[in-house]
Order: sequence, then structure tokens, then C-alpha cells
Amino acid sequence: MTTRALRRWFVVHKWTSLVCTLFLLIVCVTGLPLLFSEQIWDTFVGDDDPPYEVLPPGTPNASLDVIVDKARALYPGQIITSVNPDDDEPAVLVSMAPSWQALKDDENYPDRHSGHWIKFDARTAKVLEQSRPADAPKEPRTWTGIIMGICNRLHTSLFAYLPGRLFLGAMGGVFVASLVSGTVLYGRFMKRLPFGSVRRDRASRLTWLDLHNLLGAATLVWATVVGFTGLVNELQTPLFGLWRVTDVRQILKPYANLPVPAQDHLSSVQAAFDTAAKAAPGNEVTGLSFPGASFGSPVHYVLWTRGNTPLRARLFTPVLVDARTGELTGAYPMPWYLRFLEISRPLHFGDYGGMPLKILWALLDVVVIGVLVSGLVLWAGKRRIATDARLRALGYELDDPDDAAVPVLTAGDAR
Amino acid sequence: MNAVSPEIPMPSRPVSASRYPVAVWPWPIALGLLTIFGLLSALLGQQGIWLALSWAALSIPLIVTVICLIRAWRRPSSKGGLS
Repeated sequence: MTTRALRRWFVVHKWTSLVCTLFLLIVCVTGLPLLFSEQIWDTFVGDDDPPYEVLPPGTPNASLDVIVDKARALYPGQIITSVNPDDDEPAVLVSMAPSWQALKDDENYPDRHSGHWIKFDARTAKVLEQSRPADAPKEPRTWTGIIMGICNRLHTSLFAYLPGRLFLGAMGGVFVASLVSGTVLYGRFMKRLPFGSVRRDRASRLTWLDLHNLLGAATLVWATVVGFTGLVNELQTPLFGLWRVTDVRQILKPYANLPVPAQDHLSSVQAAFDTAAKAAPGNEVTGLSFPGASFGSPVHYVLWTRGNTPLRARLFTPVLVDARTGELTGAYPMPWYLRFLEISRPLHFGDYGGMPLKILWALLDVVVIGVLVSGLVLWAGKRRIATDARLRALGYELDDPDDAAVPVLTAGDAR
Repeated sequence: MNAVSPEIPMPSRPVSASRYPVAVWPWPIALGLLTIFGLLSALLGQQGIWLALSWAALSIPLIVTVICLIRAWRRPSSKGGLS
């Protein structure tokens, strides 16, 4: 490699790293509690669900139609918006609202929540729990809730909603560029050093450089994968938007102008679940939303199904069932870019291999923090060398380059 | 980011074993392949043995790092690495 090319790679590495390091430190640190959020919630807040009735194993689930009727009887005159069987517990969540219009109006009033939910036991169809009424005093926020909320919003959007997400996505891209350029530099600087050397008998800069190289080389692939999948995750809003204005709009076009039928004339919910399960073989049905939902069809049940293997568990296939007749309209596998998004999620979250994988994820994350910090130390040290040289040129006597007072002076005055 | 400015030639030192070029890439490539294997085996396999293999494969880069650090701090010399 020529010196010029090397210098160019060095500049790329320096600037890409400088641009993304602060944000990566934020993301790495806030990612740690998020990794264990389930355990943290269970430990500090606990499960406030009432205990489930103990029934003989193999007790069949109640028909969803029975559950839907019970929900309607509890709130006559209201509409049901969705029906979602729980993933791990024998429960069914039914969401309701006074009307679709009321839900739409909520968007203009941030403190109005007209939607509410009822949780049923999936086997006995008994009411287990209900959401707090809108006029009830607000539940006091727990410290766990506040801290986890802050971590979550910092990690995904820096409290800046969509622009924050896109910005962090861009930082993910810059991070990958810094990893690539760092790898090139690694090849150059390790030419005469056996792998894993940490020189401690010379300048402390060399110790930091060797640490940076060792930690970076050990986590290079993991950091690339998590950085890149993080970037893909941040693009989810525009990608789903793209799907909605292309395929979804095309599919719903023939129905777009039909009126939403009254809910007491709709076909069976349980039958719609069964139809969807048949339409997407190998998938399980995870939920149904009623006709009229904001991004559905006015006359269809939209059923969300997903694969039942870990790789496909995040690949959702929506199924449309005509709510007037109960007939299948079709199953619509997602386009490739959304499939790619869904597959890249587990590789970012590290939640697909049990607790040991999460712990490894956390340890690798800590090592990456080490790479970031050692990189910062190297950069700061280099800056000080440069400013020291300038000060000497100006005639200052700098006897002890390690004197803590010098950098303080130089930081303010030399530039 | 790094210590040695590219344009400054290496100061001449007495020739020792570590002055000769060494193979740079075998270790990083091996650790990278183990990482890829670990990430995919849990994702695609998702069952007993594949999960265990995934945990093992992903721990190796961490273990190697720790060994290198321990070696370097126990015996402060420039030959603290694996070769």
C-alpha cells in the first residue's frame, strides 16, 4: 500500500470514527439495560397479572366469537378494533373504542385516549383484567419505567422521533465505514506484531493502540453485524411507508371507497382466524384487526400471521378475509426489503438464543465500548502532541509532557 | 486512532523476532468466522446443540481477548501476543 493511500484510509478512519463515536457510546450504554429489559421489569416491577386458573392440560380454547360477544356485551354501542391472542400466556386481548372516528380524533388531542382493552382467559373466556379507565387517576410512574423509557428513546431516536431515527441510522452507516477503514489500518499496523500483542514497556500510546487493535479485531464482525442491522432497523418507518403506498394501496384499491359495515353484521372472528391459518400454512395467526382500522380495508378483517420457526417468526404475512362474507381474499407476503428488515431484527437484539446469548451480547457490547474509549484516548493524545509541538514552536517551556496542567492550558489558548 | 504517523519511517531498532513480518490475518479471520457461525447457528438451528455451539463460538473471541490481556499484563514485554 502506498503511503498516500494509507494516509487516506487513516483520514477516513479518523473522521468517520469522530463523527459517530459519541452516538455509538450512547447507543452502546443504553443498549445494555434494553438487552435485559424483560428481566429488569420482572425484577423491579413484577407481573401484575392475576394468576391464571389451573386447568387440566389440553383444555381447548374458547371460541373467539364467544369472547368477542362478551366484550360487546360489556360495552354495548362500542366497536371492537382488534383481537390479539397472547404469545406466551393463555390470554386474549380485545381492544375497543367508542368509534373509529373517536380514535382518529385522539390524534389531535395528545391526552385523550378513547381506546381501551379487556383481557380474557383464552380457555374460559372469563375477564381477567381491563385497562384503566381514561378518567381514572394516572398510575404513578415507576423508576424502572422512567429509566427504561429514557434508555429506549435515546437508543432508538435520541428523543427526536423520525429525524432522530434516520440520524442514528446514518450514524450506523458511518460506523460501518469506520470499521472497514479500521480493518485496513489494522493490516498495516500489525505487520510486525503477533496477534494480540499489547506493548506495555514503551510509550503508553502504544499500549492504547494495541488495545484498540486487539479489542477491535476480536469484535469486528459482531460490531459490523449489529451496526448494520441497527441501521436497517432505523429505516423501518420509511420502508413500511413505501410498502403502504405501493403494494398495500394496490391491493386495497377496489375496496377503498366502500363504507365500513356495522359490526353486528360481520362474519365470525373465529372462522376468520381459521381461514387465515389455512391461507398461510406453517404460520400462526397473531392478531386480527377489524374493518375500518386506519391502514386496513373498510370491509376486511386483516389478520397478521407469522412463521413458527425462529428465523421466520419475524416474517409477518398479512391475510385479508372479507368481513361481509367470511371468504378469503388473499395472503400477501411482504416485499423483500421488509423481509430483510424483519430478519435483521434478531441479529440486532440478540434475543434468539436464550440468556447465555444475551450475556455474550452484553460482554461484546462492553468490549466495543472499550474500542470506542481507546480510540478516543488515541485521538485526544494525538491532539495533545500536536498542540505541544506548536507551543514549543511558540517558545513555551514544556518540561514535562505528562503534566496535567499543560493540556488545560493548550486546549483554550493554542487554537 | 493510532500512534504511528504513516509518513514517519520506523526508527531502526536492533533486529529481533518481532521485527519480521508476521501473518496478520489468520487470527482476525478465524475469530470473524467463529462470530458468523455463532450468530447464524442459533438463528437457523434454534435447538439444543446449535444453541450450545452458538454460545461456544461467540465466547471464543471474548476468551481470546481476555487471554491476550492477561498475558500482556503478567509479562510486560512486546512479545505478549499469540502468534
